[in-house]
Amino acid sequence: MLGRLKSIFSKVKKTVDKETKKPKEIKDKKKPSILTKLNIIKNLEKTKLKKILDELEEGLLTNNVAYSVTEELKKTIKESKPKELKKTLEKKLKEILSADSIDIYKGEKPIKIMFIGVNGVGKTTTLAKLASHLQKKKKKVVIAAGDTFRAAAIEQIQAHADKLKINLIKHSYGSDAAAVAFDAIEHAKAKKLDYVLIDTAGRSHANEDLMRELEKVKRVSKPDFTILVVDSLTGNDAVDQAKLFGEKIGIDGVILTKADADERGGAIISVAHETGKPILFLGTGQEYKDLKEFNADDIIKQIL
Amino acid sequence: MVLDKLSDSLKNALKKLTSGKVDKEAVAELCSEIKKSLISSDVSIELARNIAKNIEKRALKEKVAGGLTAREHTVNIVYEELTNLLGKEFEEIPTEIKPTKIMLVGLFGSGKTTTAGKLAKLYKKRGKKIALVQTDTWRPAAYAQLKQLADVLKVDFYGDAKERNPVKIYRAVKKDLEKYELVIIDTAGRDALNDELTKEIESIDKTVQAQTKLLVLSGDIGQAAQKTAESFHKAVGVTGVIVTKLDGTAKGGGALSAAAATKAKVNFIGVGEKLDAFEEFKPKNFVSRILGMGDLETLLEKASEAIDQETAEKAAKNIMKGELSFTDLYNQMEALKKMGPLGQITNMIPGMGKMNIPKDKLKEQEENMKIWKYLMDSMTLEEKDNPSLMNESRIQRIVKGSGRDETEMRELIKQYKQMKKMMKAFSGQSKKFNRMQKLMGKKGMPKMPGMF
Repeated sequence: MLGRLKSIFSKVKKTVDKETKKPKEIKDKKKPSILTKLNIIKNLEKTKLKKILDELEEGLLTNNVAYSVTEELKKTIKESKPKELKKTLEKKLKEILSADSIDIYKGEKPIKIMFIGVNGVGKTTTLAKLASHLQKKKKKVVIAAGDTFRAAAIEQIQAHADKLKINLIKHSYGSDAAAVAFDAIEHAKAKKLDYVLIDTAGRSHANEDLMRELEKVKRVSKPDFTILVVDSLTGNDAVDQAKLFGEKIGIDGVILTKADADERGGAIISVAHETGKPILFLGTGQEYKDLKEFNADDIIKQIL
Repeated sequence: MVLDKLSDSLKNALKKLTSGKVDKEAVAELCSEIKKSLISSDVSIELARNIAKNIEKRALKEKVAGGLTAREHTVNIVYEELTNLLGKEFEEIPTEIKPTKIMLVGLFGSGKTTTAGKLAKLYKKRGKKIALVQTDTWRPAAYAQLKQLADVLKVDFYGDAKERNPVKIYRAVKKDLEKYELVIIDTAGRDALNDELTKEIESIDKTVQAQTKLLVLSGDIGQAAQKTAESFHKAVGVTGVIVTKLDGTAKGGGALSAAAATKAKVNFIGVGEKLDAFEEFKPKNFVSRILGMGDLETLLEKASEAIDQETAEKAAKNIMKGELSFTDLYNQMEALKKMGPLGQITNMIPGMGKMNIPKDKLKEQEENMKIWKYLMDSMTLEEKDNPSLMNESRIQRIVKGSGRDETEMRELIKQYKQMKKMMKAFSGQSKKFNRMQKLMGKKGMPKMPGMF
């Protein structure tokens, strides 16, 4: 993950070298960072700057950063004074990736977390991973089997609950997901549990009826945190997903899944940019332990 | 919908090509527009650039054929280049061999299992004897999921919830599968970078020896699509692609680039959660649609699926007599609804796609149709068949019964009267009517309520 993004910057770096034709000016023994190099751009003519921006654009796009986000990044950098290019880029990336974080470990018991997202992004697996993560922190958890639509969705989450030895509150298929969530919350209150994790059926964010249904689950369960789950491999649609789920349901944080399946990582930037919400975890594999806390500074360091 | 953005921006950019000559600047602008919208539709950067370059080169270099305007000339080239990308002709999956084996492969969460159910439903409708086989031993309840779908579809199901080795599962049932005409094999989702899972799919492939191997790709996949497709192709030799989840805002470009990379055709697209939300993918028709040229073929197909022969003939008879009942109106609206969202339908009508009917207008119309349905649901059979019975007290009762308001009821009656007038005009002109009757009788073309 993000190895590819890093390569964009090294490519831009090369162009800067070529265009300035004074690479020897930098005699650091350490590998000069892209930002040091960008410092030199201040002397560049506009045409050369354009070339660099084009490369940055191409790099971002190939690495799966959404088009709209790429355009905006480019604009910010273009508008900045050449002298401040370095600062601007660093600032912008930091700004995108480090939204005010939320603390999912604090709150009045039971803390309710609802998982939402389109079909097939990995909501259920992620929920199970977080359940396991919370268990390790000695927290008591109950799961609400809120996907009452897809064939065998209840069996799927039941299998996880069994493996983790966690109580699962479920109704039958076709029943009201909001009622399932409600029952799980009542259960948690009665048993004085720490967490209620609410699974929901995957749905297209463009389907208004299904979004209304989800809104109802949220209205009834009043989750402390609503987490949008996004597949790292998603292209430009990541922006639309983030936008529509954000507008219609409201989200507090994001988890990107399947981060191990793609070394590009552009979706992180797209989603973070669109939602302005913190990225809490990255899903990095099939095991319960494959849930990594997201650290913006590490990522920024990695990229630059 | 697929390449929605491309469709919108193409329509806008093509508008600028109005002068008689192929204007160099306008073409360049069009091509940059095309490139931009292809990229924002997730088409791979390289592919997008090549397509735009080709179009620009050809539009300027090739002679404008006699009688064509500059715009038509350019549209033709865009049409050709895009159909090239999408694989030109539609080809049926060959199903003559018994049993024909179709194996589904793909990433996690791309929709393989749902797609297996959709394929089974489609081919069952076509009269095939079908078996569904689950070899996914990784994801919890994958077995239960496909089994539940098989039960709903009343199709035979094979699998083993306890066995962990997919090859063993298949070997154990191989003999039983010989009696079927079509066997659909679901496999576990995997990411293309995982060696263990890649080896597994290779060994399943060797055992199953499916004639058709379909790569199932999510419509919202981005720039990783091409590489994914290539690695699946390398492992099993993909023969076709199914693009799923195209009912939302997914752009489909990633999946299309993947298909182009493996030289495999897109066979089907998934357009919804329900098992019949599944379409054959016909590149030419599709490109016509996004260029605003319409797609009558698909429209007629959808129409004939949506309306049954008997209803169509009965309606035709009524209209011949210059009569129209609420029942007819109701049936038409139902048929129209079955064909899909109005936006999609209007895009298939030649000329209408170009009109760019505002989306909220279409939504409003869809809402109206819903309300009229509620109102008609509150009518007695007698009232439905004989609208002239309608009087004040009946109207009040219907309004109350349906929970709607009187204005809406009046609107329905107004709509009905307008249509009746239109139908009368039709029946008066017997020549025109005969043509229409033919259409309705043979292809079941529903009449569009006078909506636009």
